[in-house]
Amino acid sequence: MTFDWSVVWQHRDALIAGTATTILLTVATMAIAVPCGIVVAILRLYGWAPVRALAAAYVEFFRNLPLILVVFWAFYVLPILTGLGLPPLATGLAALALNVTAYNAETFRAGINSIRRGQVEAAMALGMNRVQALRRVVVPQALRRILPVLASTWVSLFKDTSLVSVIAVTELAYVSMQIRAQSFRVLEMLTAMAAIYWLLGYPQAKLVDWIQRRFAVTE
Amino acid sequence: MTADTPPPQRPMASGAKIIRYRGVIKRYGGFQALGGVDLDVHAGEVVCLIGPSGSGKSTLLRCTNGLEAIDGGDIEFEGATLPRDERALRAVRTRMGMVFQSFELFPHLTALENVAEGPRTVLRNDLAKANRRATAMLAKVGLADKASSYPSALSGGQQQRVAIARALAMEPDVMLFDEPTSALDPETIGEVLSVMKKLADEGMTMVVVTHEMTFARRVGDWVAVFEAGRIVEQGPPTQIFDAPTTERTRDFLSHLGWTG
Repeated sequence: MTFDWSVVWQHRDALIAGTATTILLTVATMAIAVPCGIVVAILRLYGWAPVRALAAAYVEFFRNLPLILVVFWAFYVLPILTGLGLPPLATGLAALALNVTAYNAETFRAGINSIRRGQVEAAMALGMNRVQALRRVVVPQALRRILPVLASTWVSLFKDTSLVSVIAVTELAYVSMQIRAQSFRVLEMLTAMAAIYWLLGYPQAKLVDWIQRRFAVTE
Repeated sequence: MTADTPPPQRPMASGAKIIRYRGVIKRYGGFQALGGVDLDVHAGEVVCLIGPSGSGKSTLLRCTNGLEAIDGGDIEFEGATLPRDERALRAVRTRMGMVFQSFELFPHLTALENVAEGPRTVLRNDLAKANRRATAMLAKVGLADKASSYPSALSGGQQQRVAIARALAMEPDVMLFDEPTSALDPETIGEVLSVMKKLADEGMTMVVVTHEMTFARRVGDWVAVFEAGRIVEQGPPTQIFDAPTTERTRDFLSHLGWTG
């Protein structure tokens, strides 16, 4: 068997565009799923009872479904629900955000629960209301505490974005598979794809480690 | 059974009553933590609450600023009944500083930011004004040089002094201390007590839950002895420590090895 690596170079523009889409999907998903995760966690912790139940149901629903199923579900069901023909990228983003928000909500809930009651009391003794105590005292500490978990979610998400290739979002996995199908250069394209994912994923993991050390709070 | 003796000599009694506790009752489920407590705190007084662990001293303090709601009786602050409504209660809390046994500094903020947090978030001061105030308060507790330190880099005594500065930054009318030295190493207790003594000398009204009998005796203007959710004796420190009128006070002090 002979290898022809030129196929990778030949399709570099498509691969670069696909990589850019993968990064965009990861960043956009987290940009949605971090604030939404905080909101869901707070609703689940402090909401009115029916709201709490709803938040819990949301988390348990999306956390326990295979992501690929959510992707397909978003592809077929979202257009019916919204009446809009959403482009694949937006559909994929919605599916990823729904899934990761559920995970982040659990992470934040654990983080908020880990902050001692005395911290809230100290904030309230100063005259803060509950929202101020959360915003100024509890959430900043919880965020720092759960950075390692958010970091591994981030790294998983970066790889899991490949699942939206099943609905033809032109990210790295989809583009690689297309080139493979056209050129029949299976091993070359799989290797190139692996190399790109790894080379991008590893520094991200390291960067997150660094952020974690930088912002760690010692008590 | 309460020995609520008429105050024999109470130097500050002419001052306005800042806090009045009348028949205060607090229950946790079936457990009665406070069983009808009567106590007055006058302006400029240092009132020390002493007694065995679990006798209700800290509970009374936590009811004072509404961290715990009372189940009976009445607490008056500056002439008005302590409100139940959260918003009104918050306004009251801004006028009461509280110092906790476990400091409860905000670990993600520097000493200066900890002290500036109340003025910034609650009093809505601008950053420069809040920082000026915080700097002055840190200087007052002798920690001007630690402004940019995080709590984890400070000793227990330093952390508690920052916590005192944080409470003072709100310019409270009264300071509530909940066993402020109980979590400290013996060698740092003195620095915290001397800051508290200085505050008392400046005329700050203080309610202090403490196991430091020497402090209660030397700095306190009025001492209340708690047992099982009631005040069994209250009076000036000379009475409590030199001529206690009840067997319970004598028992408590002798258990501590107090010899006068």
